[in-house]
Amino acid sequence: MTQPAVRLEHVTKRFAGHTAVNDLNLEVYPGGIFGLLGPNGAGKSTSIRMMMNILTPDEGTITLFGVPGTGRELAHRVGYLPEERGLYKKMKVLDHLIFFGEIRNLSRADARKRATAWLERLGLNDWTMRKVEDLSKGMQQKVQFIGALIHEPELVILDEPFSGLDPVNAQVMKDVVVEIARSGRTVLFSTHQMEQAEKMCDRVAIIARGEKVLDGLLSEIKASSGKRNVALAFHRDAANAHPVLADRKLVVRVDDYGASAEAELAPGAASDDLLRALVASGAGISRFEVVEPSLQSIFIARVGAEAARPLAMEDAHA
Amino acid sequence: MRKVFAVIRREFVERVRTRAFVISTILGPVFMGVLIFLPALLAGRSTTARNIIVVDAATGEFGNRVVAALSDTRFGNKGGAQPRFHIERIVALDRAKAVTDSLTTLIGRSRGPQGGPDGFLVLTDSALATGQIDYFGSNVGSIADMSALEGTLRPVVQTERLMREHVDTSVVRRATAKIDLNTSKVTEGKLTGESGTSSFILAYVMTFILYISLLLYGIQVMSSVLEEKTSRIMEILSSSLTPFELMLGKVIGVGSVGLFQLSIWAGASLYLTANLVPILKVFGQSPDSAANISIPAISPALLAVFLGFFLLGFFLYAALYAAVGSMCSTQQDTQQAQQPVMIGIVSGFLCMFPVLNDPNGPLARTLSLIPFVAPFVTPLRYSIAPLPPSQLLLSIASTLAGVIIIVWIASRIYRVGILAYGKRPTIKELWGWIRTA
Repeated sequence: MTQPAVRLEHVTKRFAGHTAVNDLNLEVYPGGIFGLLGPNGAGKSTSIRMMMNILTPDEGTITLFGVPGTGRELAHRVGYLPEERGLYKKMKVLDHLIFFGEIRNLSRADARKRATAWLERLGLNDWTMRKVEDLSKGMQQKVQFIGALIHEPELVILDEPFSGLDPVNAQVMKDVVVEIARSGRTVLFSTHQMEQAEKMCDRVAIIARGEKVLDGLLSEIKASSGKRNVALAFHRDAANAHPVLADRKLVVRVDDYGASAEAELAPGAASDDLLRALVASGAGISRFEVVEPSLQSIFIARVGAEAARPLAMEDAHA
Repeated sequence: MRKVFAVIRREFVERVRTRAFVISTILGPVFMGVLIFLPALLAGRSTTARNIIVVDAATGEFGNRVVAALSDTRFGNKGGAQPRFHIERIVALDRAKAVTDSLTTLIGRSRGPQGGPDGFLVLTDSALATGQIDYFGSNVGSIADMSALEGTLRPVVQTERLMREHVDTSVVRRATAKIDLNTSKVTEGKLTGESGTSSFILAYVMTFILYISLLLYGIQVMSSVLEEKTSRIMEILSSSLTPFELMLGKVIGVGSVGLFQLSIWAGASLYLTANLVPILKVFGQSPDSAANISIPAISPALLAVFLGFFLLGFFLYAALYAAVGSMCSTQQDTQQAQQPVMIGIVSGFLCMFPVLNDPNGPLARTLSLIPFVAPFVTPLRYSIAPLPPSQLLLSIASTLAGVIIIVWIASRIYRVGILAYGKRPTIKELWGWIRTA
């Protein structure tokens, strides 16, 4: 078995008053895209900062590539995009990227060549000699992104890489991330956007309140969740369906989006029964499909049952 | 090492490119040039001769001698320069009161081709006896005019008094011959060729440059650390470099900007002094006025001592400023937090005055062992008085030891501070930062 690119063993980090990460075990194997998921304040950034040796764990050990050495000593093999983005505002874009390359042990000439190639690829070649402060926010984020990747690291750690990006830029970044993974390198990114993670990740770990809730291959997680979900969409009179969806003999949990919903079938209930009941209710159904549970529904089921919005049973029966 | 060098290069290049650097580099020599040339320009400046009437109510040759002496007074102390006074003599004898009354109405009013009288001097026998000589004029506020008058009158009055006591003229001449003190500095039994004035100016300029540079570049180190913190670029930096490498790179980078600027200034002042006479011509001054400019000559040994202590002082204070920048989260925070550091620099500068008075006294000897002020005190002592090599070495050793300890402490604070946001730490918390492994 190959050595994991990142291995956390019994890692605990406490800050004044609270425990940010508690006895966390995590293994990220080389290749593919690993999603570190969790609600805000779950300890995602703290874990990543410890991987990068910006913070040191109070307990436990962190190993990168299975070799001894801190994240800082291995900085030339790791690309890191912090959650809070920062650049030197007065520096020229190209100079800035060369600097980022140099502090990752690239030679100056090499750094210049790669920076130029990257800027071209992401459509920033007209901006190379401009100051960072002249760039739009989206462009600055691209520069940040290049900065994390310029030394062609074998492990790329991205903390919330897609937050605050417009759809066009998000698409560009996603393409880059997918390509890195396809070239056999490892990507670890954190997010609280489940849709994004669901589309991109092979493996995920969900953490909440500093503790791991589950991890593994996304497909296995979905298969083993043992749930049968039905995706629903309504084109009229969605309210008529509410009493049906609130019937606990048919449906255990509903994730209701108004015009659409994801319902988890109750044990013993057949999907036909639900369909029959819904048709009888008079709601206009435009979609009825038995699906694998979405990551979102698994996430909410495991992390924040209280965060989901179940229809109140009492109201429904009344 | 490549990483540290990248940080040094970034600090240097980005700073030297700024408009602020270019402006301060140009304005520095201009400011210094003004400091050096201004006395010369001012001395040559008021070349308008004063019209002075001598009201001669004294007996004998006293009045004539005064007129002759005043007419001989020149601007500057070289022959051939412009006369300082245009003198007219009115013999008043017993009518002195009436003459002065009517002259008073003329002062500063009538406008002839040479202008009206600026003032009048009243010479009487009693004035000669008491030494209380009256001058009435519109220019009594001019210190230069009054001291020239007084300086000219004093020997004439002394001569006149001696003559009236029937002392032989030749004896009088010899007795009242002018005295000039020619100062020459001796260091370790050798003549240095520096005069007292120029070595004082040199010491002053050096101390001042050190003071300004430490403040200026120290604050630059501080605000650049703060910028990296607030822009969160620190996360990327500290995931690639150790805090000590970061701090070292920053301090060396900013320090080399300082040295670069200093060497530009040194080059410029060498050029100025080498081409003093042509430059004065540009300003429309005669080459003679170069004599009013004291050019500090700096020996290589003094330069080495100065640069050595400049570097020691810079490392000490820049490291402290870096630590201050790292423990703050906003610009406002730094205002307060930097005060202890600033007090160190200011007190170093203020040490100049007691040390100038007694360069080898016990106070000066003690001060040159304290790392916070030694970078100011020791080069100063070295420049104005012979400094025993043992004391120089002791001062270097204790300052170096101090710098190492301070840099170590500062890097401990820096290490924790760069990633700590929010409230500024208390002294107790700082102590905790220093102690944590």
